[in-house]
Amino acid sequence: MAENGLENWEAQIRKGWLEVAILATLWKGRLYGLEILRELEARSDLIIAEGTVYPVLTRLRKEGLIEGKWEESDSGHPRRYYKLTAVGKTRALALARHSQEFLSKIDALIQPLLKEQMR
Amino acid sequence: MSDDTPLPQGQVDTYLAALRKQLAGLPEEDVEEILRELRGHIAERTAESDSEQNGAAVEQILRELGTPEHIGSLYRADSLVAHARATFSPVLIIRTTIRWATKTTVGFVAFLTGLVGYALGAALIVCAVLKPLFPANIGLWIGRHGMLLGAGIPRPHGPELLGWWIIPYGLGVGGAFLLGTTVFLRWMLRFAPRASPRVTSPG
Repeated sequence: MAENGLENWEAQIRKGWLEVAILATLWKGRLYGLEILRELEARSDLIIAEGTVYPVLTRLRKEGLIEGKWEESDSGHPRRYYKLTAVGKTRALALARHSQEFLSKIDALIQPLLKEQMR
Repeated sequence: MSDDTPLPQGQVDTYLAALRKQLAGLPEEDVEEILRELRGHIAERTAESDSEQNGAAVEQILRELGTPEHIGSLYRADSLVAHARATFSPVLIIRTTIRWATKTTVGFVAFLTGLVGYALGAALIVCAVLKPLFPANIGLWIGRHGMLLGAGIPRPHGPELLGWWIIPYGLGVGGAFLLGTTVFLRWMLRFAPRASPRVTSPG
């Protein structure tokens, strides 16, 4: 039961952060789906099922935060490259600031628990 | 590889066909784009894996991608709520609300309210439409036993209060119920979670 609660909590957290994380990976330049996935797999714990990234990309595109462009790759598979739109850049910055503020407050809140445990 | 092991391409096609089924109801061009992107993902992942064990590799890749049901539900949830928020179609609104009702109490309450609202509205309009056909049995009666609005079979005792006015009243009030319920549910759907909750930006 407790174990299950932890899993649910993690699943919710992942969903919530995925959007911010994807926008962040595109900050430096354009990437296609698999590259975004690799970034997230290497630098976060957000990916459980790889397929969850693609619906978020579709939604971000429909909201006008990113735009996609199909290109043929050397390997013969078409790739859809994504990049931030002007609106997307503004949103990514706002989310980054908001996230940092949010996390530092949570961090301050949970510090006493961790110190308690170390004693 | 044994004979009953499906070829990798067969596995991929089965997977994508299952996903296509899950995406039924989405605009056709969206479906094609989704499948094209995922096909590219699978092809690229397969190409970089050990070609000796292609079958096993594809199976692994598809497993890591997630089940068609899971991925499909993520696309559908986004699309449904987005559409329902922008639509006045009661069918789509109700469909979305039903999905929501299975997940949270707020969704369930919204669904019940919507159901009652639409039922009342529809009943009033049906009364108005049936009045010319069954003039004696459709009406509003208030008697000792309470009030009856609608169809009285056999015709209840006591005076009928609305007469032919039930037609404009039924259509007007019934229509108002349908519209009011639609507006209410559209407003409620702003609180429905999408597949991935959005982190709202400040300001």
